[in-house]
Amino acid sequence: MFRHTRLRLITLALLAIGAVLYGAFTGYFGLEVLTEIAILAILVLSLDLVAGFGGMVSLCHGALMGTGAYAFAMLASDLGLSPAAAMAGAIGLTGAVAALIGAICARSHGIYFIMATLAFSQMGYSLVFESPWFGGDDGLSDVPRPDLSAIGLDLNDPRTFTFWCLAALALAYLVAAQVLRSGMGRSMVGLMHNEKRLRALGLTAWRVKAVAFGISGAIAGLAGVLAAQQTQYISPGLMAWTVSGEALVVVILGGLGTLVGPLVGALLFVMLRHEVSAFTPYWHAVVGMILVAVVMSRANGVYGWIEHRLSVRGAHGKPIEPEVENA
Amino acid sequence: MPIDPGFWVLQTLNALQLSMLLFLLSVGLTVIFGLMHFVNLAHGSLYALGAYVAATVAGLAGFGAGVVVAPLAVATLGAALYFLLIRRMRRAGPMAQVLVTFGLIFVAMDVTRMFWGDLPMGISVPAWLNGQLDFLGIEYPAYRILIIVLGLITLAALTLVLTRTQVGAMIRAGVDNDQMAACLGINVERMFFIVFVVGCALAGLAGAIAAPVLAISPDMGLQILIPTLIVIVIGGLGSLKGAIAGSLIFGFVQTFGAVLAPSLASILIYALLAAVLVLRPAGLFPTKG
Repeated sequence: MFRHTRLRLITLALLAIGAVLYGAFTGYFGLEVLTEIAILAILVLSLDLVAGFGGMVSLCHGALMGTGAYAFAMLASDLGLSPAAAMAGAIGLTGAVAALIGAICARSHGIYFIMATLAFSQMGYSLVFESPWFGGDDGLSDVPRPDLSAIGLDLNDPRTFTFWCLAALALAYLVAAQVLRSGMGRSMVGLMHNEKRLRALGLTAWRVKAVAFGISGAIAGLAGVLAAQQTQYISPGLMAWTVSGEALVVVILGGLGTLVGPLVGALLFVMLRHEVSAFTPYWHAVVGMILVAVVMSRANGVYGWIEHRLSVRGAHGKPIEPEVENA
Repeated sequence: MPIDPGFWVLQTLNALQLSMLLFLLSVGLTVIFGLMHFVNLAHGSLYALGAYVAATVAGLAGFGAGVVVAPLAVATLGAALYFLLIRRMRRAGPMAQVLVTFGLIFVAMDVTRMFWGDLPMGISVPAWLNGQLDFLGIEYPAYRILIIVLGLITLAALTLVLTRTQVGAMIRAGVDNDQMAACLGINVERMFFIVFVVGCALAGLAGAIAAPVLAISPDMGLQILIPTLIVIVIGGLGSLKGAIAGSLIFGFVQTFGAVLAPSLASILIYALLAAVLVLRPAGLFPTKG
């Protein structure tokens, strides 16, 4: 079950303060990095929601993010909707697509679930890559940013846009935490631990999974919309399955099923990429080795490891039995 | 719709050639999964490595040497991987395995870039394989016939070993129920090792013989991974029959889809996969789990 332990609240507060201070004082490059972190954090948050709390390890979240980006671009450019309406439409559409995928895959478990979501991810990628309607491999350009001049904000200003993304991240986190505290979220956690028992209790398993996957997809769609607004250009590369794989890597590096951990993971991952690629072109190899080491160490990512250490130390005198979160 | 019989023969051969290539890759992956319940996403990277080794050795000592050395080199690497990583990850869940091998993909891709550079490499085949063969009234490249023949030989050999020999019986027993097999005195651990190494060697062989028809590039392992996974998921993880059926289905759907319905071709195979997963979540020929 998801709870806001004191450690998690402290971490969240530190992350928020750090992001706001950094965003307020850094230069153009720093703002780009911060925006990148915020968007990745929204994506991995959505993935942790279903993978960490529902056992639905998805390899289609990159494609869902791409769906959000493409839906936003096409609703805004081709159908001429206002950016705000296009955002709402894109997020809703991605959520609906995700709910459908969740419903179809609800019967699969473990490795089959991973493969099934991978299949849908690739289906979306081929569709976008091949179809001239979606710009093919050229992608789509001139994606607009919303006009918030009514409340005195100009999103074409890099700093304002960064805070726009940070605000979206905060909203996404609140939604995810609220979902996990709701009855639906608890049912999802229950399904992960013992599906048969919950079925016996009268729960419609596929419906819970579909709704959860839909909500998660909508959050991933939000990440996609922001990614499209950030670069104002989108290409099918956004939907490649390796994007989903990387998102999963970030969730694991941070700590699966902690909701706060993936945020830390996103921060570390983007920083690592910038630091490592500054002195070697082979940063993928470095990330790969770190990933292998983290998984082999059996720790639940960086943040999961910290939580574990602190809970062991907090229990001095008592038998060392780490408090198992979310169990 | 073309009615020329030559067209159908040609496309059937193309489909068979793709199927056989995928079969070589998927059979190793699927038997490893069936026996060890281990998901090796890095299987495609082993295939890419096979292609690179073959190209390098072929440049020094001729094509034949490349095709022989590549599977051996990849099998050696597979043995090293087994002792360093795979053995320890056996008891971990599928999620941890997917992630560790995903990390290996990253490492392997950059290692090939370090040694062989970013540019695609070519590999030339000997003159006697370079020509065209007359086959049922059409001209077909001799080398592609060789791929089909090699695939069929491997298929026959594996079928024989698995169904007619004692080792095969032991492997099948291990796939059915590894604990029971161990109780009956079979050294399951050693069998795992052998199967893993043979699977790696087959991936290396696939890379070596695919090298002349496809461009050798650092991401070729990543590109072949998805088709291979589709093959084994359609066929059913862990079954030889499934790998055969899956490769043939993939080869024919992909090839004929591309000529008969080009606009649908790329989606067709994924739609088929989704349909299989919905109707038969454990694939067409599931192994008893």
